[in-house]
Amino acid sequence: MIQGLLHSSLLLWTPLVLAALGGLLHRVSGVVNIGLEGQMLGGALIGAIVSQQGWFLGTLAAGATGGLLGLLMSLCITRLGANEIIAGLGFTIVISGLIGYLLRSVFDVSGTLRVNGLDPLPEILGMDPLFWLAIVLIPAITWALRHTAAGLRLRATGDGFDAAGALGLPVNRIRDTAGVLAGVLAGMAGAHLVLGQVGLFNEDMVAGRGFIALAAFYFGRSRPWATALACLLFAVFDAGQARLQTEGVPAQLIQTLPYVVVVVVLTATAVRDSRGKARRAG
Amino acid sequence: MTEIRLQVKPVLRAVVPFVIALVLGGFVLLATGHNPFDFYQLLVREAFGGTDRIASTLSSATPLLFTGLATAIAFRAGVFNVGVEGGFIMGGLVTATVAAKMPGPLAIPVAMLAGAAAGVAVSAVPGWLKARWNVDEVVTTLMFNFVVTGLTGWLVTSFLQARGVANSATPLIPQPNWLPDLLPPYALTSGVLIGLILTGGYAAWIRLSMLGYELRQTGLNARFAAAQGINTSRVIIVSMLLSGAIAGLGGATHALGIVHRFVDGFSPGYGFTGIAVALIGRNSAIGVVVGAILFGALASAGTTAQLFSDIPLDIVDVLSGTVMIFAVIRLWRQR
Repeated sequence: MIQGLLHSSLLLWTPLVLAALGGLLHRVSGVVNIGLEGQMLGGALIGAIVSQQGWFLGTLAAGATGGLLGLLMSLCITRLGANEIIAGLGFTIVISGLIGYLLRSVFDVSGTLRVNGLDPLPEILGMDPLFWLAIVLIPAITWALRHTAAGLRLRATGDGFDAAGALGLPVNRIRDTAGVLAGVLAGMAGAHLVLGQVGLFNEDMVAGRGFIALAAFYFGRSRPWATALACLLFAVFDAGQARLQTEGVPAQLIQTLPYVVVVVVLTATAVRDSRGKARRAG
Repeated sequence: MTEIRLQVKPVLRAVVPFVIALVLGGFVLLATGHNPFDFYQLLVREAFGGTDRIASTLSSATPLLFTGLATAIAFRAGVFNVGVEGGFIMGGLVTATVAAKMPGPLAIPVAMLAGAAAGVAVSAVPGWLKARWNVDEVVTTLMFNFVVTGLTGWLVTSFLQARGVANSATPLIPQPNWLPDLLPPYALTSGVLIGLILTGGYAAWIRLSMLGYELRQTGLNARFAAAQGINTSRVIIVSMLLSGAIAGLGGATHALGIVHRFVDGFSPGYGFTGIAVALIGRNSAIGVVVGAILFGALASAGTTAQLFSDIPLDIVDVLSGTVMIFAVIRLWRQR
């Protein structure tokens, strides 16, 4: 029982943490990425189709799709001055509209696409490769942010955009790179949904996970380990939903938990910041 | 010369995103073997070709008038409220519940006030958090949408569920409590009038009243407004409360006029389309009306066009999302 819960929690954790780590990198560079949801959906569709050539190519194609969408979104933000929230919402609406349109007019299905010869993710040591990728990425990103020139530049861009620019850092290109990386990871998260969990594509399959990933890196305050733990918390609640429901806790309320957590964390952070400021001023 | 430029620029700013969206949508149609010109002609005909079609367009524009206005009023104050969707849904649920239970002639106004109050309740917390501690309202209002969706779903399934209905829905509102129709054979309710009156009120209020002036000043430059002696915290809260009230009223008219109950999927993203409406209308009253009609036309014509051609309604999402993106990018160098 517990083992089953653990396994399904880790299964649900993988796409969340992949997308959240991507969003985290983008956040560190100073951009709030609202487009993860759409990038996951795009990755899921392309990943499902290309996986006819094998899961590895499918996952790569999903990452490439997400990366391309991430690049387009980032260019709108960095080069054309679009507001990041509107651009993110707009991209998510366009992508889900486009996918619904293609499903109905090209594939001639209503919402659900069964891909013949879809190649599910294999198991390595009891878990799928993307799970292990996530496990490797958490310490890797932690280390890279702290100890590499690229990590320092990324942080500098986020902490002081103008100052970093004045020092000659290519701040827009750094943000674009972070946006592409976020897209790649979100696209792979989408591939995990379709190749690692469900086995077919549905236009509603991402179901807010991009926003839960957003919640996770807010909760984790853009630190990789804390973000991964936040994802685990949300995944355990998601996996335990059915059990909790039989105990009388309604599923709809559990599902709102990540979002409530974000509001609480943001408030706590803001209160602390304003107290700190008041102390410094006084 | 400058006068002409001042006239042309806002119009261009509203039209250009729409044209770009039509062009990009045209490529999508072309790539999937459809003739975009035929489809757009069909859309225009289905949106405006005849009294029944115009009534249907205005009916689809009505919720967007409310959500667009609610968004515009917050944006005008420089408050980035993307939580109108939540206020709309909560307003719809509360109004549907009150109107289903309450008899008598006062049912409609009371139910609508209750809906407005519900919208205020949704926007009050992020507004206060923003004003008091400068908590980023973009993220909190976005999150509140999801919280409200879950909360309303839970309220319906555990307390308000209609008996004998399979999906989660509240009981049907009795017919005397429906908003009266304007053009009886067609489904155009007096809700559109309420929306237009509110929009007119907004135009006058923002231009003529003291608070409207303070709101505009805060939106233009909050620090300068504060230096002028404007209480910007108060302005932020007022704009959020008004925005919430209008969003709630939108849900109320939608429940009383169109759906006659609250169901799962009550709003197919009216709040988010409202953002596009406000952006394309540059937060002005007339702009909101034009934007709501344009998007309403897209939605209503897209639905019927789906019946006459094999082009799915999803193309409308592609168009409105594109408008949203291109409404916020700098198309030319500023100043």
